[in-house]
Amino acid sequence: MRRLAVAIGAVLLTAGLALSAGHRDYFKVGVITSLSGDLATGGNVTKRGYDLWAKTVNSQGGIEVHGKKYKVKLYYADAQSEPSQGASGAERLVTQEGVDFLLGPYSSGVTLAVAPVIEKYRVPMITGSAESPLIWRQKFRYTFGTIPPVNYTGATPINLLAGLNPAPRTAIILGSNDAFSKATAEAFKAASEEVGIRVLKYNIVPAGQDLIPLLSAAKVMRPDLIAFGGHDEELINLVKALRQINYTPKALLMHYGVTEPAFVEALGKDAEDVFGASVWTPTLHTRGTLLWKDAVTYARDAEAAYGVPADYTQAGCSAAGIAFQAALQKAGVTPPLDDGEREALLKALEELDIETFYGRIRFAREGEYYHANIGLDALTVQIQGGTPVIVGPAEFAEAPARYPMRPWNER
Amino acid sequence: MLQLLPQAIVDGLLIGGIYITVALGFSLAFGVMHIIDFAVGEWIMLGAFLGYYLTQWTGADALVFLPVVFVVFLGVGYAIQPIIHRAISGRRGNPVLMGLVFTFGLMLAIRGLGLTVFGFYSHSLSSILSAKSVFLEKGGLFLTVPVIRLTGFVYALVIMAALYWILKKTDFGLAVRALSQNREAAGLMGINARRISSWVYGIHVGVSAMTGVIIGCIFTISAQMGGDYTILAFFVVVLAGMGYLAGVPWAAFLLGLVQSFFLIFGNPSYTMLAVFVILYIILLISPKGLFAKGV
Repeated sequence: MRRLAVAIGAVLLTAGLALSAGHRDYFKVGVITSLSGDLATGGNVTKRGYDLWAKTVNSQGGIEVHGKKYKVKLYYADAQSEPSQGASGAERLVTQEGVDFLLGPYSSGVTLAVAPVIEKYRVPMITGSAESPLIWRQKFRYTFGTIPPVNYTGATPINLLAGLNPAPRTAIILGSNDAFSKATAEAFKAASEEVGIRVLKYNIVPAGQDLIPLLSAAKVMRPDLIAFGGHDEELINLVKALRQINYTPKALLMHYGVTEPAFVEALGKDAEDVFGASVWTPTLHTRGTLLWKDAVTYARDAEAAYGVPADYTQAGCSAAGIAFQAALQKAGVTPPLDDGEREALLKALEELDIETFYGRIRFAREGEYYHANIGLDALTVQIQGGTPVIVGPAEFAEAPARYPMRPWNER
Repeated sequence: MLQLLPQAIVDGLLIGGIYITVALGFSLAFGVMHIIDFAVGEWIMLGAFLGYYLTQWTGADALVFLPVVFVVFLGVGYAIQPIIHRAISGRRGNPVLMGLVFTFGLMLAIRGLGLTVFGFYSHSLSSILSAKSVFLEKGGLFLTVPVIRLTGFVYALVIMAALYWILKKTDFGLAVRALSQNREAAGLMGINARRISSWVYGIHVGVSAMTGVIIGCIFTISAQMGGDYTILAFFVVVLAGMGYLAGVPWAAFLLGLVQSFFLIFGNPSYTMLAVFVILYIILLISPKGLFAKGV
């Protein structure tokens, strides 16, 4: 008797859920990113970008489709800085939560693991922070990125440095052994060789490895330029290591992490004069129609919400939300999204060409940058007075580059 | 290339010093209480953060707070050890496994709480010594010695000497050694096993916390940093022979030297591979560690 009651209850519950699934007046948006583990810093920055977008779009009533507004509700999964956890988290969001679309992970490694999963379930995803060219080379139909890959942006800072006086003639290029960092180091190496800078040493090192022995040895060669590809903490450790051996190259270029507030906070005046790569700063002259009208407005909102300046990763994530917003409006699809509507959304994303506070969003439809945003310009930034300042290319430069780097002890 | 040999040796020894302090308390805890402390990395993290907040609050040099951090965490360890003891004693079988599982849970709890309380940004501790280095250039010889790392090395020597003195020259140390040899017999000799164990664990946590401050000066700190140091402690202690304290410095220096040699003379990408292959070979030949004196 009890078993019958339980069975009837289960049937009613399922029926109720099935019925309610047909009527949803909000978009279910999955967020898969690293909230813990080695990549927790970047992962939480992406979460902030996505949260800020959701909060702002909801404060305006939601995404407007055919005259009606639909709010967005975020469902999170923690990749824990492990690609395998990222893949299973994405799978859970798609199959169990039934999300309409996904906002993607921090780091190329996790993105590379998530992409095949969403390809299988045919759910579109935009990641606001993954810069390895490996992702786009695999031509995942359902994965997009608002930040262009490092082989699109990496040459710019090197070209700028080559134009300074006296130009650096030798370089030591290092990269951590992960998808993004390795690609960054490769891009720096290729660009250096292109402009005639002699690469004395090129090493890919284990992630998080203590680099003092390598740098002590490198000091003997007196390289003009030291370029490093890595994440967050590794960059801070490199500067500290150079400080400990008291070696100041003419220029120090690192990516990604120079634009994060933690970099300047941890290093203080040792962060000055360090070069980095970016595609957006809070002072860039941009014009947007959706949510934020320019970079300054976004930066102000972000600082009010989180108390620290926004960097381009956070901005890229909020822009990912805007890209979905614009595409949904164009495709004219309403929640819940079925397979046909997701295809329409996909098509709208591919045809997207909008101006936002973040810059232009236009996803490539073929070639090696397939589905990456090629609407942006690569910028070279330098820490001056505690903030990243654009020093090149010329049309965007806010201040001249400080070069050569002032020796540590003379600051 | 030979001109870099002294640099490789010095760098290896200096980082080995840090590895010693990470592993020493861990080995002590295992030897005396048969507790595999998975939370060792988290004690390092907590000590580092206490140092960080103290320096932020007062603006003083981070190293000044080493004694403060030690005393605070001596107390924390002393207070927590009875709880661990409860988990591993009584009618539950397999105390070593229970201790391992309990400290693993402790590790997860502290790490998760750390992420919530301290946030996800990385920080750095600074000392006036962080920026100084000694540079020798004579003939074909180039040698750079970062003073903060030398400080870490000296700190390791001081801790080793202090521990040696305590263990060999004091009654307390005698009790500790008796306890690690045979717990029951020691109890029969009138040694208060519980109190001694609490002090030992307190010393382990206190030393680990101090090491966290030094690590924060040399590297960076974050709520997630513990995992790497727990693995490191395991590595050094397994190589040294579990529970064999005297083997720890040798294992730590070996680890440091292998890494620095690979980074300077070999292919840096294979540093970790080299380290683990060497561990594997040594354990194949001598499963009880370098000196075959482990458990």
